[in-house]
Amino acid sequence: MAIHTVLVIEDDRFIGEMYVRSLSKSGYEVDWMVDGNDGLVAARNKAYDLIILDIMLPERRGNEILDALRNDTEDLIPNSKVLIMTNFEQDDESRMAMQYRADGYLIKAEITPRKLLEIIAELDAVSAK
Amino acid sequence: MHRVLFGVLIAAIFGLSISYLFLGLLPVQSILLSISVTTIIITACVFGVLLLMMRPIHLIMRAITMRSGEPTVQTPPNPNVSSLISGNLKPVLDTIYGSSPMTPAVGFSATQAVTTATPALSLLEHALEQTSCGIIALNAERKVIAHNVHAPIKEGADKQPEIELEFINMESLDEWLDSLSNTAVHAEKTWQRVSNKLAGEEGRRMFDIIATYERGSQTETVIACYERTLQYMPEEDDLDFIAFAAHELRGPITVIRGYLDVLGMELEDSLDDDQRELLKRLVVSSNRLSGYINNILNASRFDRRHLKVHLKEETIEKIYDTISDDMTMRATAQNRILSVKFDHNLPTIAADKGSIGEVLGNLIDNAIKYSNEGGIISVYAEIEGDFLKVSVADRGIGMPSNVIENLFKKFYRSHRSRETVAGTGIGLYICKAFIESHGGFISVRSQEGVGSIFSFTLPIYSTVKQQLLEGDNLTLIRQQHGWIKNHSSFRG
Repeated sequence: MAIHTVLVIEDDRFIGEMYVRSLSKSGYEVDWMVDGNDGLVAARNKAYDLIILDIMLPERRGNEILDALRNDTEDLIPNSKVLIMTNFEQDDESRMAMQYRADGYLIKAEITPRKLLEIIAELDAVSAK
Repeated sequence: MHRVLFGVLIAAIFGLSISYLFLGLLPVQSILLSISVTTIIITACVFGVLLLMMRPIHLIMRAITMRSGEPTVQTPPNPNVSSLISGNLKPVLDTIYGSSPMTPAVGFSATQAVTTATPALSLLEHALEQTSCGIIALNAERKVIAHNVHAPIKEGADKQPEIELEFINMESLDEWLDSLSNTAVHAEKTWQRVSNKLAGEEGRRMFDIIATYERGSQTETVIACYERTLQYMPEEDDLDFIAFAAHELRGPITVIRGYLDVLGMELEDSLDDDQRELLKRLVVSSNRLSGYINNILNASRFDRRHLKVHLKEETIEKIYDTISDDMTMRATAQNRILSVKFDHNLPTIAADKGSIGEVLGNLIDNAIKYSNEGGIISVYAEIEGDFLKVSVADRGIGMPSNVIENLFKKFYRSHRSRETVAGTGIGLYICKAFIESHGGFISVRSQEGVGSIFSFTLPIYSTVKQQLLEGDNLTLIRQQHGWIKNHSSFRG
């Protein structure tokens, strides 16, 4: 299934706007939530093709959101891809737990909008196979 | 005493007689010789008498030494020996031994006194309490059977003492003992920077540790914990600060790089060449800043033994591809010619793509910094035994030999580089850490005024494939500083 709808859960205004701007201009339909609670509600209420999830979020952290959406017993977002995008240094265990449930784990500082578009295209290509 | 004097007189007469009978000497010579011989004999006899007189004092001193607990190799006198009874020394020795707990009621064992003397043990215990070095002894079941006051020990669930050490990102004591259980009779291992508690917990101490294993011994494992808290903790605090600062810097750099990228995309068709060049310089600078932040973060991880690499089958070409655009842009922005040639037939290597990308980026960045405008920077690779050797060569300012030996040390910057080129002095330090974490080696050849060639080796994948497939990354890594690069698939 091609990626068309994207949910960005990101509390940094500059970074959030940057993602929304570049994704929208590339034709994606983007929703943006700035705190963890709103992000979780949005992800539950709408089947997004892609969720871009920060970790250090107000109200509810990214790992909690991912646990709530996708855990050992249930997967509330079976048709969604999840990209973790963070500048936060997690310990190995936490990071690997998130990696296991996500489709990508990226350091924000190393991913420019152009690179993000490339990665989304790669995810799209993988899901199309 | 009379017997002694009589003996001396007889000896003197005997000495004179011998002189006259056998030597046939002149009277004057005979008299002198007789006097000499007689003097020697008298002296020997007097010395013997003195020894006889001193013996009781010597025995009493040995008894007192034993009673005081001073370590000694001399056997203490047994008061029940007949010569001491007849010589009236027994009451004196009994008095000395009187209050000694080591004095057996019947029959005295000198061996027992020396080997089990409580005072001697007390001294040792006192020394163990006094030293800041923690000592722990384990039995064959790995239970703590003895420890001194400074040892990192906590009370276990069953109220028994347990070792309180956190072997984070390193082989633990138990893992080491497991590895010995079926193979070694005697072994020794050292650990550095082992703490008793996690970072931030109260009462945290840090140790260098030496464990000695002797199979079958009553104290099968003896662990010496050298406290290094004062030395290591400030460094830890510094590193925490560095890691925190680097993390905080990532936010702004994300925005700067991101919006420059957005501007580049949106203004692509409207910028003239001059404006395009200005934008490129901004991008190059922000990318370099991002690289420095990564270096700082990686150096702090390395120093804290948190740096790990996740080795996979890669090609050097594909690794370079991840930094190619950035490197080309940096070189052209500073009027350098970057020539990268990798033979398509080169074997695959066992590498962490992100880490080796950073190494290449650092070396090329250095080559750009330390070469002249218009200079050529060559990047190439060749097979060297079981390794692929990758080189970055420049025709720049080069270095004298006394600089090279310090080049890979943290914060080292040569006197001249301090004056002429900005930098942090940790780029090569982290390159060395990454390469050695791969089991490779980094080196440099340089000639002042001619240029430098930095080379590093990486294991050819087929030579280490088996270890990797068995998931035994650490056997490949000589220095065991690996960290799993979580984002090796998508690094910008």
